[in-house]
Amino acid sequence: MGKPKVAFFDFACCEGCQLQVANMGEILLDILDIVDVVEFREVMSEKWGGELDIAIIEGSITDEHSVERIKEIRKRSGILIAYGSCATIGGVNGMKNNFDLDEIREYVYGSDFHFFPTKKTMAVHQVVKVDYSVIGCPVYIPEFVEVLKAVLQDIPYSVPDYAVCVECKQNENVCMYDKGVGCLGPVTRAGCNSWCVNNGNICYGCRGIVSGPNEKGAHDILSKYNIPLDLIKNKINMYNKCREIDQNAQ
Amino acid sequence: MQDKQYAILWKENFNNFISSLSKLHKLAAPVFKGYNNYAFENVRSGQEIALKYIPTILPPKKFFMPVHETLLEYDFSRGLKADAVTEYEEIILFGVHTCDIAGIQCLNMVFSEHPQDQNYLIHSQNIKIIGLECNEYCDEFANCHLMNTHLPDGGYDIFFTDLGDYFIVHINTQAGEDIIKDTGFFMSAQSSHLNELASYREKKQAIFKNELPVELDLIHDLFDRSFESRIWDDLDERCLACGNCTNVCPTCYCFDIRDEINLHLTAGKRYRVWDSCQLGPFAKVAGGKNFRTTRKVRQRHRYYRKFRYPMDRFSRYFCTGCGRCSRSCMAGIRLKETLKSLIGSKEGAKA
Repeated sequence: MGKPKVAFFDFACCEGCQLQVANMGEILLDILDIVDVVEFREVMSEKWGGELDIAIIEGSITDEHSVERIKEIRKRSGILIAYGSCATIGGVNGMKNNFDLDEIREYVYGSDFHFFPTKKTMAVHQVVKVDYSVIGCPVYIPEFVEVLKAVLQDIPYSVPDYAVCVECKQNENVCMYDKGVGCLGPVTRAGCNSWCVNNGNICYGCRGIVSGPNEKGAHDILSKYNIPLDLIKNKINMYNKCREIDQNAQ
Repeated sequence: MQDKQYAILWKENFNNFISSLSKLHKLAAPVFKGYNNYAFENVRSGQEIALKYIPTILPPKKFFMPVHETLLEYDFSRGLKADAVTEYEEIILFGVHTCDIAGIQCLNMVFSEHPQDQNYLIHSQNIKIIGLECNEYCDEFANCHLMNTHLPDGGYDIFFTDLGDYFIVHINTQAGEDIIKDTGFFMSAQSSHLNELASYREKKQAIFKNELPVELDLIHDLFDRSFESRIWDDLDERCLACGNCTNVCPTCYCFDIRDEINLHLTAGKRYRVWDSCQLGPFAKVAGGKNFRTTRKVRQRHRYYRKFRYPMDRFSRYFCTGCGRCSRSCMAGIRLKETLKSLIGSKEGAKA
């Protein structure tokens, strides 16, 4: 069996997650040893219109053209990996869903906005079947490598379904709440090794919300620490607005 | 009269002692991290050490069972080759409070049971402990008097008690005696020093008082009656299942075992990583069944793992009274309050 054919595609995104691959250093050589990258706009000129073993999708789906394009990629791909927060949970593009679509189009494109059709932002799994997810803004490279190994072994990869606090405490960081700062670690899914907090930042919730979060408990905590609920809601919606589409679908 | 079990370190020699010790051994001690947080970290000088500190974010268990620890390395590129791995280093921990020494004693019991955990035991054999007595409560979260861990009770190599101008040091092991000898700076304790220690301990009795209106011996009975208590429903509403309480607990030792294979899928390692009964997936088994789906039963399980189940197996409570679970809980679940509620509940009243 030859090396699996892999292509990267981008939709609505900043392409920063693909840049993470370009920047991953020595381990990239190991990866290139075992896969055949046939299309990757950010680092090479070649295109590939044929069948794929693995399609890696960055970005969220925001218009009809993207819907058609992702369906077409899905059809010719054995495995499809949603890659980065935009692709897996909608990410920052989801903020569009806070507004009326015409209003937001006019804001961006001015009086000619009718020439620019748009749709509510969707994560990739809200349009086509996704086999694996690498969540994060940007993706955490060690996790991407683990997902890739799972794909190659044909075994599932489960994103940890517990709070970032678990990894953060194991890294012995001083809790942001002790510093009087609101942090989304308690409701955000782990797997990033508390990357942001390790580097002095708060958790922005870029990996999505844990299953069955205790919302009442979270509200109590915010009031205890005098953190306004709206502030945290806005912070959650910065990455997680598209989860409403999943909630409505249930 | 001199007492060979005790020595004296004058405070002006403390920094010299630490510098000298850190040249001989790798040394870790409590270090201030800001915002009333402390952590055991490597130190080279006395100035780095916080002599007065509240329990560190993580207890010293992180040295005995690291968060991530490789257990096995394997290679099946040419047949299967697998080697057990033990990664360890010799280290001295300075400034370990009595509550945390009690925590280590609990872990020693757990990991010495058959089948013995060799990785843990090798760490344990290579770690020397210098205890440090608390002259007063660290804060309102501690319940060390109730758990009877506010006084030294073995489990250390040497033990420091601050008596003002000097530390009186109890020497408990040969390794401890070597530390005293190798560093210099210590003097023999005279009977006057021992008298001062005795009167200090007497004064301490007035400072540390039972934190809750219950006898230690009655707590496991209280838990026998409280399994269906409504107190657990209250915890369900508040707990976020962040796992802070178990990660910071000196006696929580649950771990998960994972494999990490190389990209060529020919070799890899098997390692363990701390796990927590507070997390949703912890009790999930094949087929998707989960034995503890609610935060309520997970919190209850945590309390029973401290105050009821270890009594049957080890004849001791696995709470050390350090207060970390309460201190680190954003939702304000306080161990002392939970116990107090249980004592005051209708189940508790039957006592």
